[in-house]
Amino acid sequence: MRFSDYVLIALRNIWRAKLRSALTIFAVVIGAMSVTIMLALVTGAKSFFLSQVEANGTLQQVAISPQQDITNFNDAQHSGGGNCSANCVKLTDDIAGKIRAVPHVVGVTRVANQGMLAAIGYNGQLLTLNQTNAYDANGIIVNNVLAGRDLNASDATGVITMTSDYADKFGFKGNYQGIIGKTVKLQTQNFYRGVGATVQPPQQCDGPCNPNNHPDDQPTTLTAQVVGIIDTSNESKSIRVPLEWMRQMQENQMYQMTAADQAANEAEQTKCQRQPGPCNPTQHFSLIVTDMLAQNGYSSMIAKVDNSKNAASAATAIKKLGVGAADASASVKQQLTVFNIVGLVLGGIGGIALAVAAVGVVNTMVMAILERTREIGVMRAVGAKRSTVRSLFTIEASLLGFWGGVIGVLAGFGLTRIANILVNKQLASQSVKAHNIIGLPLWLILAVIGIATLIGMLAGLYPAARAAKLDPVEALRYE
Amino acid sequence: MADAEYVIELTNVTRTYKLGGETFNALDNVSLSVKPGEFIAIIGPSGSGKSTLANIIGGLDRPDNGTVLVDGNDISKLHDGQLSAYRNHHIGFVFQSFNLQGNNTTMENVMLPLVFAKLSRKERNARAIECLQSVGLGDRLKHKTNQLSGGQRQRVAIARALAVKPSIIVADEPTGNLDSARGQEIMSLLHKLNKEGITLLIITHDQSLANQAHRIVEIRDGKLTGRRG
Ligand SMILES: Nc1ncnc2c1ncn2[C@@H]1O[C@H](COP(=O)(O)OP(=O)(O)O)[C@@H](O)[C@H]1O
Ligand SMILES: [Mg+2]
Repeated sequence: MRFSDYVLIALRNIWRAKLRSALTIFAVVIGAMSVTIMLALVTGAKSFFLSQVEANGTLQQVAISPQQDITNFNDAQHSGGGNCSANCVKLTDDIAGKIRAVPHVVGVTRVANQGMLAAIGYNGQLLTLNQTNAYDANGIIVNNVLAGRDLNASDATGVITMTSDYADKFGFKGNYQGIIGKTVKLQTQNFYRGVGATVQPPQQCDGPCNPNNHPDDQPTTLTAQVVGIIDTSNESKSIRVPLEWMRQMQENQMYQMTAADQAANEAEQTKCQRQPGPCNPTQHFSLIVTDMLAQNGYSSMIAKVDNSKNAASAATAIKKLGVGAADASASVKQQLTVFNIVGLVLGGIGGIALAVAAVGVVNTMVMAILERTREIGVMRAVGAKRSTVRSLFTIEASLLGFWGGVIGVLAGFGLTRIANILVNKQLASQSVKAHNIIGLPLWLILAVIGIATLIGMLAGLYPAARAAKLDPVEALRYE
Repeated sequence: MADAEYVIELTNVTRTYKLGGETFNALDNVSLSVKPGEFIAIIGPSGSGKSTLANIIGGLDRPDNGTVLVDGNDISKLHDGQLSAYRNHHIGFVFQSFNLQGNNTTMENVMLPLVFAKLSRKERNARAIECLQSVGLGDRLKHKTNQLSGGQRQRVAIARALAVKPSIIVADEPTGNLDSARGQEIMSLLHKLNKEGITLLIITHDQSLANQAHRIVEIRDGKLTGRRG
């Protein structure tokens, strides 16, 4: 018997029991549809993630941390700052130079993230700042600029870029261009001693006291011009300032007694002793500015290599300099594993729906065989082999699965398209570039249809074996 | 395949059923020889073993003992594939209750054995039309069989039996569901086929129909009791 005849006869039999077939197929449709949607979500999210990684150039980067034992790319980026004590190396300009000399490294960005700016104000509205980021604007770290421009190497002080959530809050939602060029206020923490701080001259102490202690130390307000608005999808509630400005903000201005001051003070003291009567010598102090960033080191660095293939070896070479270093491949792999596991779990849920559908197929086929017992007898009488009967019913069950798979994929596809439109509308309203969050690659379509067909086939094996086993004489006598 | 004198040769055929521990012989040591082109009527009371005998000759059933030679080959020893091919190529069955697929057309019913014979679609169509014309249903090709009368249905069944050009037609009470006039029409049709060379075995209750055969075989309680002709 020809395969096309099997298919034609099976299709005809499916058509003959329309309602029952439709209900059975419907169950498969539900299963196939849920598998499709769930896998589509996961593959879509995965490729979205990968495209982000690609766009950021993350795979060509090595993150460098003062923590020597860091092995994870993301941890390395966020490990800096704070106290450097055990297993820790200061990330100095000297180290940056050595990293630049490592083979395959084409550039290094020094990163200084600090929380010394407490709030950002515009038009009387003051918003809390989570973080202030600063790094060499040499193109290694790439931002998605929604309006204006990113910081560049010629920026020194007085300019910032901010994430779009601030622009939204300041009333520029949908009009980010409107805030470009505007001046905002940056309010520091208390006891700020960096650039722009008005440091009080020391108290004249009579006896032991810290002349630099000013209990009424107030925050300083700096002003900055907004030059760019940046996509929030990577980081929210943060601003970026030029690295040079960050260096100045981190400076510590303090009155100290230099050797010259000491000598002057002693001279006054001697003068007093020579003079009879009360004498109140003036204490001499000098305002000393300390470059704290140079002293404490950068919070992290990012080295760019010529090719993502060399990232791992560059990371190893950089580690030999005594700093912590990690490339992104491990953490990207780890993230992908997470996506895969989520995909398996979600696909498994759809799989359960398909398993239930399989029970439906078994049931339908057993019923069909009972109904068509006599017909099976006739087929045997006119020359059908047992194996022919078995194939016929197996193919019929496979076709139930196949149609369920096809309709399920179509329905799933339709739903994901609708969901995509909604998601992109949502993203667009937040001025984020539209993405195909939900992907439905061809392999997935074919796999779901294939799996549904296979499930139908497997579900048909037992009923088909029963049909094949029927004794033709009995079958012909069956009422 | 020797130039056998007999097309069918049953020797000591026994078919045993086990019913609740007891064994019961539906056919008991039956021997029967049929010459090529012979027309045999098998008669006997209900439950005597007529259908069992017909099914064994037609390769639908197997004996528990004895040999069934058809064209010199023992079909009781064939495996399922070979036996199915034997039914497909050599036997045409006609049943009392027609056993047609009511929702299918006469053409589709007649083509069914040809599907298993792996004929091309074109060949199947041509042969089905030919067979339906030879049973006088050339004008009913696209009719569903459940739209036909009893006599017409049995003629479709005969056309289906003829489709693969069998050497033997086994008809198990082919007139049992028909009135006597319709029955006689069917008998005449079968008779005509026999005259064209097909070996014909007919099971019937109707003595007057049996009398048209070359030979009558009577069976009682699974045993052949009388022969005439
Ligand atoms: N599957 C079976 N199990 C038990 N007994 C059977 C079976 N098939 C047929 N028989 C018995 O075998 C005997 C012969 O049956 P059958 O050949 O159909 O008779 P007939 O066709 O002459 O009416 C009957 O008594 C019947 O009850
Ligand atoms: Mg009978």
